[in-house]
Amino acid sequence: MLIDINAHIGHWPFKQLKYNTCATLLERMNKFGVDISVVSNLNGVFYKNTQSANEELFDEIRSSKKFANRYIPFAVINPIYAGWQNDLEICVKKMGMKGICLYPLYHDYEISDPACVELVKRARDLGLIITFTHRIVDSRQRSWMDISKEWTMKDILPIIQEVNDAKYFVVNAANSMAVSDEEAALLKKTDMLIDTSGRSLSNLGEMIKKFGKDKFAFGTHSPVLDYLAGLLRIESLRESEADKSTKELLRSGNAKRILGI
Amino acid sequence: MSAAGLMLGAGIPDFGLKNSSGTSSYDIMKEAMKYRKIDSHIHANLFADSDPELLLDYADRLGIQKLVISRPITELDRPHQEFRDSNDIIIRVMKQYSDRFIGQFTVNPKYGKESLEEIKRCVGQGMIGLKVYYQVKINDKSFYPIIEKMIDLKMITLMHAYCGLGRGGYRTKYGNAFPDESVPEDFVDVARRYPEALLQFAHIGAGSDWEYECKILKDYPNIFVDVSGSNNEENMINFAVRCLGEDRLFFGSDNSYYQSVSKILSADLTEAQRKKIFFENYNSILRKGGYNVD
Repeated sequence: MLIDINAHIGHWPFKQLKYNTCATLLERMNKFGVDISVVSNLNGVFYKNTQSANEELFDEIRSSKKFANRYIPFAVINPIYAGWQNDLEICVKKMGMKGICLYPLYHDYEISDPACVELVKRARDLGLIITFTHRIVDSRQRSWMDISKEWTMKDILPIIQEVNDAKYFVVNAANSMAVSDEEAALLKKTDMLIDTSGRSLSNLGEMIKKFGKDKFAFGTHSPVLDYLAGLLRIESLRESEADKSTKELLRSGNAKRILGI
Repeated sequence: MSAAGLMLGAGIPDFGLKNSSGTSSYDIMKEAMKYRKIDSHIHANLFADSDPELLLDYADRLGIQKLVISRPITELDRPHQEFRDSNDIIIRVMKQYSDRFIGQFTVNPKYGKESLEEIKRCVGQGMIGLKVYYQVKINDKSFYPIIEKMIDLKMITLMHAYCGLGRGGYRTKYGNAFPDESVPEDFVDVARRYPEALLQFAHIGAGSDWEYECKILKDYPNIFVDVSGSNNEENMINFAVRCLGEDRLFFGSDNSYYQSVSKILSADLTEAQRKKIFFENYNSILRKGGYNVD
């Protein structure tokens, strides 16, 4: 079984995306053997009122029976925008969303902002997974209207330190994964997964040694990145780096555990 | 039905995932290993994680048979001797693993006479192409004699390239970050002057604006493009094939190993197109000088 913990529908304002609907993403999943995708709506990165994006995602998933058991929707929530508490409630209790994606760089707040901390705590209490990304696109080729900053693992640590009993996804790990021994120990204790789509996982075998085999899961960062890099990083691991049971954890076992499925 | 409609009175949707199943048993390793590959752009002993044994480790796990290695000098205004020393490193590696590595020499075009002598020396040692960084732009006059020499040798010139439109997003205000970095328009300029030259525009996946690059290079058949670099955007290969055709693209990693293979596997290509990009296109270039590997 293969579970993708990092997929999106929606648009990017500065470049055309392919396979960015539930229907076309499903074609990719079927072609490459992906059973389930965690999916959120990229439009929420740019809408001031992100709830509109969550409604779009919900509507799209509900539009066809063939999507029903293939997608796990995550909401995009902006904790400094009006009504996010009510939006979160609706996303969880009426739309069945299992996690949230936060974009502090795009929504212009600090990860340690009290509003962000409050949202993460509330998500924790609801049993949701909280997702942060190193970046959405490669900033070197960004539009002049896009943001220039990208994150490293260290940039995400403050919220994990603040709310260390929540569940986290760190996706598209494209930049430094360097952390101190103390920080590594904290991450090991945290219920978190790093998806395999990011370029900084070029030595996944070493990363598993450093953070543990329960800390990684297959992810595509589709439709921004090519669909297969994350899978190739897993499947090309040698037996000495990841035995059969470890590869199963990476393909779906770790994702199942944290998603509760 | 809208989300709002569903919310009124509807229960919590059940995204029940029991019996969820993909309909394919895609075997990515089988796919990766079935294509012969020449990595047209990779560096040895240049930075961390680029020692030859590590390159071969990655190559073995991804089914890459031949690696075209180089060691350009990435600092500007370095003396000729440094370039010569760098070439010696590649010659040693190339000879140590002669069944896997194909060597490219590097020169500082600012030292014209010495560069031509160095090319002669390196070719004598079995090297088969030129890799240049941005000591000068590709269309700088000081580079003309070197291009002419490469034409005589029927060898390809791989030059670092960039498109600064998106770098910082400030091209229109400030120009490229490095004034002597070649942009697509510089390649076009020199391709027009030397239509018989074999030119390799480096790494459209290196963080530059690959749509801009492909559109500028579209009509110049002697400019080939390697798709290396850490950026593996989903539509890059499809767009490049549509813009440049299937015969002008080379597989390459620039030491970004996994995404260099996956971006080609995941693209909407025919088997024949994948074979061309992974192997045949670059081998055709090597064949022109009698250096093909099949």
